[in-house]
Amino acid sequence: MKYDVKICISYDYDRPAVGGRHLVCLMPQDLDHTQQITSATLHITPDPAERLDRRDFFGNHLTEFSFRGPHDRVMLTLTAQLWRADAPHCLGPSASLTDLPRQLALCRDVGPQSPLHFLAASTRVPRDADMAAFARSYVGPDATVAETVLALGNALHTHMTFDATATTVDTPAAEAFAKRRGVCQDFSHIMIACLRSLGIPAGYVSGLLRTLPPPGKPRLEGSDAMHAWVRAWCGETAGWLEFDPTNASLARGDHIVVAYGRDYSDVAPVKGMMRTSGSQKSQQAVDVIPL
Amino acid sequence: MPKTAHSTAVDTQLFARYRPLPAVTDELVDASGAMRPAWAGLISHMSGMTASEIADAFARGDQHLADTGVFFRRYGDTGGAARDWPFSPVPIILHDTEWRDIASGLIQRADLLEQVVADLYGENRLVAQGHLPASLIAQSPEWLRPLVGVRPRSGHFLHFMAFEIGRGPDGRWWVLADRTDAPSGAGFALENRVAATRVFPELYGRTNVHRLAGFFRSYRDALEKLRGSLSSGVGILTPGPLTDTYYEQAYIARYLGLTLLEGDDLTVENGRLHVRTVEGLTPVDVLWRRMDGIWADPLELREDSQLGTPGLISAVRQGNVSMVNGLGVGVLETQALMAFLPKIAQILTGKDLLIPNVATWWCGQEAELAHVRANADRMMIGPALATRMPFETTAPHSVAGRMRGADGADLHAWLTENAGDLVGKELATLSTTPVYENGALVPRPMTLRVFLARTPEGWQVMPGGFARIGASSDTTAVSMRQGGAVADVWVVSDAPVEAVTMLDTPTAAFLRPKAGPLPSRAADNLFWLGRYVERTEGLLRLVRAYHSRLDEAATEPLLATIRARLKTYGVDALEAFPKGLTATLASAVYSASQIRDRFSVDGWAALKDMEKSMARIAKTAEPGSDAALVMSVMLRKIAGFSGLVHENMYRTAGWQFLTIGRSLERAAMMTDLLAAVADPHSPDGGLDLAIEVGDSIMSHRQRYGVFTSRESVIDLLALDETNPRSVRFHLDVIRKRVDDLAGLRPLDQMWNFAAQVSALRADITAQSVSSLDTKAISRLHADILTLSTGLHATFMQ
Repeated sequence: MKYDVKICISYDYDRPAVGGRHLVCLMPQDLDHTQQITSATLHITPDPAERLDRRDFFGNHLTEFSFRGPHDRVMLTLTAQLWRADAPHCLGPSASLTDLPRQLALCRDVGPQSPLHFLAASTRVPRDADMAAFARSYVGPDATVAETVLALGNALHTHMTFDATATTVDTPAAEAFAKRRGVCQDFSHIMIACLRSLGIPAGYVSGLLRTLPPPGKPRLEGSDAMHAWVRAWCGETAGWLEFDPTNASLARGDHIVVAYGRDYSDVAPVKGMMRTSGSQKSQQAVDVIPL
Repeated sequence: MPKTAHSTAVDTQLFARYRPLPAVTDELVDASGAMRPAWAGLISHMSGMTASEIADAFARGDQHLADTGVFFRRYGDTGGAARDWPFSPVPIILHDTEWRDIASGLIQRADLLEQVVADLYGENRLVAQGHLPASLIAQSPEWLRPLVGVRPRSGHFLHFMAFEIGRGPDGRWWVLADRTDAPSGAGFALENRVAATRVFPELYGRTNVHRLAGFFRSYRDALEKLRGSLSSGVGILTPGPLTDTYYEQAYIARYLGLTLLEGDDLTVENGRLHVRTVEGLTPVDVLWRRMDGIWADPLELREDSQLGTPGLISAVRQGNVSMVNGLGVGVLETQALMAFLPKIAQILTGKDLLIPNVATWWCGQEAELAHVRANADRMMIGPALATRMPFETTAPHSVAGRMRGADGADLHAWLTENAGDLVGKELATLSTTPVYENGALVPRPMTLRVFLARTPEGWQVMPGGFARIGASSDTTAVSMRQGGAVADVWVVSDAPVEAVTMLDTPTAAFLRPKAGPLPSRAADNLFWLGRYVERTEGLLRLVRAYHSRLDEAATEPLLATIRARLKTYGVDALEAFPKGLTATLASAVYSASQIRDRFSVDGWAALKDMEKSMARIAKTAEPGSDAALVMSVMLRKIAGFSGLVHENMYRTAGWQFLTIGRSLERAAMMTDLLAAVADPHSPDGGLDLAIEVGDSIMSHRQRYGVFTSRESVIDLLALDETNPRSVRFHLDVIRKRVDDLAGLRPLDQMWNFAAQVSALRADITAQSVSSLDTKAISRLHADILTLSTGLHATFMQ
């Protein structure tokens, strides 16, 4: 399906910031068979003093920019037109869980697509014994990696409650897991920790989710959302499988991929520090409109 | 007098009583039991000294280190308290023929590591060809993805390195550790050298010891040549005063004449790196990095870093900065790498390592795991991806078959479960070197840290370095864990050595070097140092005045007025030695500690001395005349400090900011006091209090007689331009210092602040004793305090 995508993020400071430098990761990716970008532009106000568009190690689009003068508001507007495949990409047969270590040991690749980046603990996903124990209980006898990913993702969906008030963007995954509550970022980090504890390479997908209005109601502007889900490596033949634990589904036509990383800190939509002592308010609105 | 005989005094008692340990190499005694010739001079010299002469000599070394304030500061210690740095005065002596072998072995290793790191951030052929397991690189927290594919502007990742080496029982040297990311210790080596020359001045003078200055000179020249343009600067990037080697960084910065910069001093504009200075942004494009790579840029690396500079990597990526060393080279310190280096050396250079590294096995391979398992009692086993040896980490590890840091864990189960994350290393046995204990020389294990610098003429090896010496006679490498001491290393030659200094060669025309612009943060700290020291003095005077009046049965209203003034500064007059005073001085010490690189050693010593005295006195002071007396003692000490600073400090921008801080504080405190005690409604005795606190009793007597009046006090303490305690005097000083600073910034940026200062000065000049009433004084007080804001807006942003 083809979409018009719009993301608006704004920051308001109660005291003017004196300059600042930021990294933005909002531009959707071109993916071989599943997602194609027709056009995409990121507009920044006020006009930044410097701007540099480039890619990061994993191939994600980044925009680096800075302000010099004092400003009390920053607005980022991304508009894009893209095509996204309706059905999930068809995987080849998954490796068995027991054969996975052998396949990984044979890997002599440290390029962006290598599964090896996604095995170790990362900034937002440290190793955790509780999550590892939880994960072990969903490993069936002779299970394949893909079966394990699905079993775990569904189990998390069952045991966790979506609760936007329970956590913040900086809540550690272990804390969200202990509460069994959180948002898509927490669901994803927890699932990644579980998969890695089983030796399954798992990464974070930052993206957008189209939400359907309740039956009979009109669609509200800005009601779609930034979203996150998980991808797991199912062996040499199958490759990457994307699963959304918040919604207990494979990533499909409603899931638009922005960036791949090891966890949130690799692909945070906006990074950067303000040189200001005051506080800031941020707002975002996302629209994913089918054409 | 020590004997100066050159004879090889093998029969002397000191040597005769020395007992090397069995089955280890000793630096003093060779395998046949004979003294190594390089040591003869030292042993003969020491043998000619009495025990008390040796004690005196050693005390000179300690005194030197105490005077210069050498200390380690460790994260996690209570309150970041300073800690003494134990120095073992007996140097380690190596002949330069042996040193040449060490040097060529380490140069080979440095070149090899450069090739490896260039591959890891470039084509990654070592991984693709299976010479290095991909998972070790992909999982290393030190392999910095934002730097992958970024070629260093200088063409090299490694410019300055340190190696930790030790000598085994067979007499061969081994590399124990590679220090590539932000190696520390070069400054300690220098300090040790100075301390050792204080201990053995005549001996050092007549022994052919290779000097260290030549190495530092080549290194500094090499750093300057890395600059992209002559108008750019070279700086040392420090994590700041809380890091355990900050002193050393400040020391080496002073020694090399380089600016010590914190991440916050730097900013990136248009892809170029600048220092925020009191003169605005000034370009810097070479950084000797003493900060671990992962902290360098919160935008692209550790987002929680408070130490880094946003955009630094962007500047590196755009080829506008040379980093010494390149960001990401920490991956070379990965423990498991040593398992593969010997073979990589063969593959990349076709040669074996001249100095092998300690035998290492990565447990992620079946055969290696089995070997480690079978030989665990002769190994240390720990995290494969760590950059420190197993016993130096907090993670679970095993030493000689015993688990540490994991409650009751079974070694073999632990190995099985975590194989891919673990590395086994042979427990190296170290050589011993003599240290002096209780009148005798005893053998203690030691390792050497050796430094290499890349210059246009190739790698230079510092002839010497520093030695770490174990605290006990346990000769396994693990013994270094308990700390121990450090010692100087003398590389001696049979022929006279070349004397090199840091100064330019005499043939070059003399050019007075221009001081680099003062970083804004340093200016800020100097300004606050001036304020806090002055505030401490003002408070001491007020507290003294309070206590001396307790015994004189002064009226309570006056005492209440003093208490109220003190309270605004957080000082509780009811305490015999108020904690608020100690806290104020502590703030001064803190400000000074942030700028050790631009602060005289004597000034620092005086300040620390004052802090110590205050802590001691505070315990015993009794309210009343005793407390008053104690305040007088402290006042004399503070006068000593101020004298040192103002007599000895260069009249550079740093001094101007310090002086402005001092004058601003004095004027502010005086106006505050006058508003309270020189009002017609103030309690009796207030005017006498003012001239006492203003240290102007004598001047008052000479000019106005014994009796104070509101007019005489206001005239003397507010309006008199010749009294160094008056408000007017200090506004004049500020005005002059601001004039001195005028060249630093373009006129339009200076304008507001200069106008603020001029207006204030014009205001007080126009006042008379009658017009300067309490309301006018209070307004003046408020205006003086706002100068601080103006100063910050002009010079510190």
